[in-house]
Amino acid sequence: MSSWKLAIMGVVLGIIALFAMGLQNDPRDIPTPLISKPASDFSEPSLKGDATITLTDYRGKWVLLNFWGSWCISCVAEHPYLIQLADQVKDRDDFLIIGVDFKDTREGAFRFLQRHGDPGYQHLFDPKQRVAIDWGVYGAPESFLIDPTGIIRLKHTGPLYPGWFEKVALPLIDGGAVQ
Amino acid sequence: MWIELGHFSAILALVLAVIQTGTAFVGGTLDRPVWVRVSRQAALVGSGFLTLAMLGLQISFLTHDFSVQYVAGHASLDLPFFYLATALWGGHEGSLLLWGWLLSVFGTIAVFSYWRSQSASIPWVLVVFGCLVISFLCLVLFLSSPFDRLIPPPMDGRDLNPLLQDPGMVFHPPFLYMGYVGFAVPYAFAISALIRGRLDDQWIRATRRWSLFAWAMLTVGIVFGANWAYYELGWGGYWAWDPVENASFMPWLTATAFLHSVMVQERSGQFRIWNLMLIITTFALSLLGTFLVRSGVLSSVHAFANDPGRGVYILGFMSVLLLVSFGLLTLRGDALKSENRLDGVVSREVAFLFNNLFFMVAMLTVLLGTLYPLAVETFSNAKVTVGAPYYNKVFLPIMFGILLLMGIGAVIPWRRASAQRMIKLFRLPLIIGFLALPLSWYWGVDHPYGIGALFLILFVITSHGGEIIRSVRARVRKDRLSPLTAFVRLISRNRRRYGGFVVHAGLLVMVAGFIGSGLFQEEQNLVMKPGETVRIGAWTLTLDKIHTVARENWEATEAVMHAQGRGEILTLRPQKRVYNEHSMPTTEASIHTTIREDLYVILGDAVGDGWHIRVFRNPLVVWVWIGALIMGLGVLIAFFEKRIVVARKTVREAS
Repeated sequence: MSSWKLAIMGVVLGIIALFAMGLQNDPRDIPTPLISKPASDFSEPSLKGDATITLTDYRGKWVLLNFWGSWCISCVAEHPYLIQLADQVKDRDDFLIIGVDFKDTREGAFRFLQRHGDPGYQHLFDPKQRVAIDWGVYGAPESFLIDPTGIIRLKHTGPLYPGWFEKVALPLIDGGAVQ
Repeated sequence: MWIELGHFSAILALVLAVIQTGTAFVGGTLDRPVWVRVSRQAALVGSGFLTLAMLGLQISFLTHDFSVQYVAGHASLDLPFFYLATALWGGHEGSLLLWGWLLSVFGTIAVFSYWRSQSASIPWVLVVFGCLVISFLCLVLFLSSPFDRLIPPPMDGRDLNPLLQDPGMVFHPPFLYMGYVGFAVPYAFAISALIRGRLDDQWIRATRRWSLFAWAMLTVGIVFGANWAYYELGWGGYWAWDPVENASFMPWLTATAFLHSVMVQERSGQFRIWNLMLIITTFALSLLGTFLVRSGVLSSVHAFANDPGRGVYILGFMSVLLLVSFGLLTLRGDALKSENRLDGVVSREVAFLFNNLFFMVAMLTVLLGTLYPLAVETFSNAKVTVGAPYYNKVFLPIMFGILLLMGIGAVIPWRRASAQRMIKLFRLPLIIGFLALPLSWYWGVDHPYGIGALFLILFVITSHGGEIIRSVRARVRKDRLSPLTAFVRLISRNRRRYGGFVVHAGLLVMVAGFIGSGLFQEEQNLVMKPGETVRIGAWTLTLDKIHTVARENWEATEAVMHAQGRGEILTLRPQKRVYNEHSMPTTEASIHTTIREDLYVILGDAVGDGWHIRVFRNPLVVWVWIGALIMGLGVLIAFFEKRIVVARKTVREAS
């Protein structure tokens, strides 16, 4: 085969391979620039309205911050795993979950928890999306993992899935916080 | 009822396409003319059924049949008739059906019109078109059917995406698709030539008009898209180097190269493999355009439909097409070697060779910029976008090279040009070209690209004009005609050549528009309260008031402004519209167009007690649209070339 033939077939195969791999990408998955940056602090009323949740209060623990809303269909799919995860980590003193109910009404959120079960952890109430915008959230559900020193270590777009904690979070936790 | 009629017609068309392919294949390999005739009839009846399928869907739209899911998703009771009648290609499913329909109809027309003159190619053309139609109909019927019912039907539809409710967007897809699909005809003839291993260049002469037609449609389609972006998207420009725009631009570049290089092959039999490669690449890029828009593989500002499932199918389809086409080309490559070599270093052949290289480099530049983000994302999981700065840096020099070659290639003699001839041809154009320097100084153009573009425009005009004047003079002397008659005869006897000249002139006008609006745009971005003023260029704009207006299917916040300058007072009314069925507001820019510049005002959000307003002064934008019209006229002139066969014979005998 002469070189021009090899070149043409090479380019053609290369482009096909690139597209085949490109199809695996999710065009909605945009990486966040916040990884390895200090988490932006918040101090907002809880969903039940009985407390104020401040992120810096949880320094020394790993925090899973889960953004959700009762209007979000994928959050329904994610919810059973969150209930299971909350139960699984309830005895750990180095890890906790905080929900952020954003762009929502209190009634809607309560109805959601009533219908799909209450995982038991605390939720922030963020109807005007102040926290969500600070954190660069563009969909729901989205989750962030913050290490004990307050550094964002991970962002997960879309529903968390069974086994996520063991597969993704534990290696980070065992690996330790960024000093 | 109508939708089922359409659905069944589409299924029958698929069956007929299978018959068409099978019988043509048998007829072609075993040389059985009767089988080929059956195949042709199948193609004819198949495109008839697809026409019925289109009608079924169209009638469902016109009768507001919201029990059809596609209609419910893309129309509503309030949708004005004009948009209702064209909403068929407002979505993914319908536009794929339109693609398939055009493919089938074009194939049938081509087969019938070349039935006698190209009878040896016909079986393979039928096979290629049959396979293409099957692929598209499978996609339409099994993966994105516009014929699905929605039970229970809603009271009202979800309406057409408001951004698409614009005349530019109504015409953009059909013209673009006619361009894309039009290239299927020369592509099918090229594949047929490869399969048969025929050495001659019959396929090129036969499909010349189709190539021209497809090129014209693609040009018009792209310009409609740019026009839509300018008037409807409201960001002050018309071309953003968005992946989807690039997808339509890449086949245009290779097709333009093709239109030029076929002239060399017709003349002296050179560039044979090259031309086959160009037409295959052009059609493959047309499919790539569809693939990019419809698969979700690239994120784009106007990603209207994302669906990886269809993506896998289109990828498979494209892989087969690319591998078969280029595989055939490499397999047959040696048999198609050109027998002639280039005669001289300075000749029209060489100018066209460089023209082709520049167009290919331009296409690869765009391809690289389009695929680079995809590659980065695939291998490193980071998102990048390649934007206008890259393209402006890389593309403008290439465009200048193409313009220079345009001035040279159109007038330089074939085969060999002597030094005296070159001096005679290009002395005056160069001198006139250098008038760009004083003119730039006079007009206050200080950007090197601006001066360069002006030089090239003057150079090309003079070289083309000189050629026309020389030819007219020769006729006046020889036939003793008046200059006007000589001019008319010259043009009408060489429509293809002088149509090409007109296209070149149109491109020059467009380039002036690109340079003016690209390099000399001014922008003011501010918050205004009623009574406040802003200055831009020679204009002073005053915000008079903000109020609400409503029409049959939208409501808008409108700013009333007046602009004073150049001895005129104008009223401008930019709007933020909310269409009934949608919560997303759309921007309606208010644009005042003059030959010199556009005044372009966009109303943004309320900020405190003021309003965010963006004002652009876009010089020479209208030249882009005028240039496109002139190009269209040029193609029309070239299209009605009468003496293709005769001219060809005399050339043969002479050489």
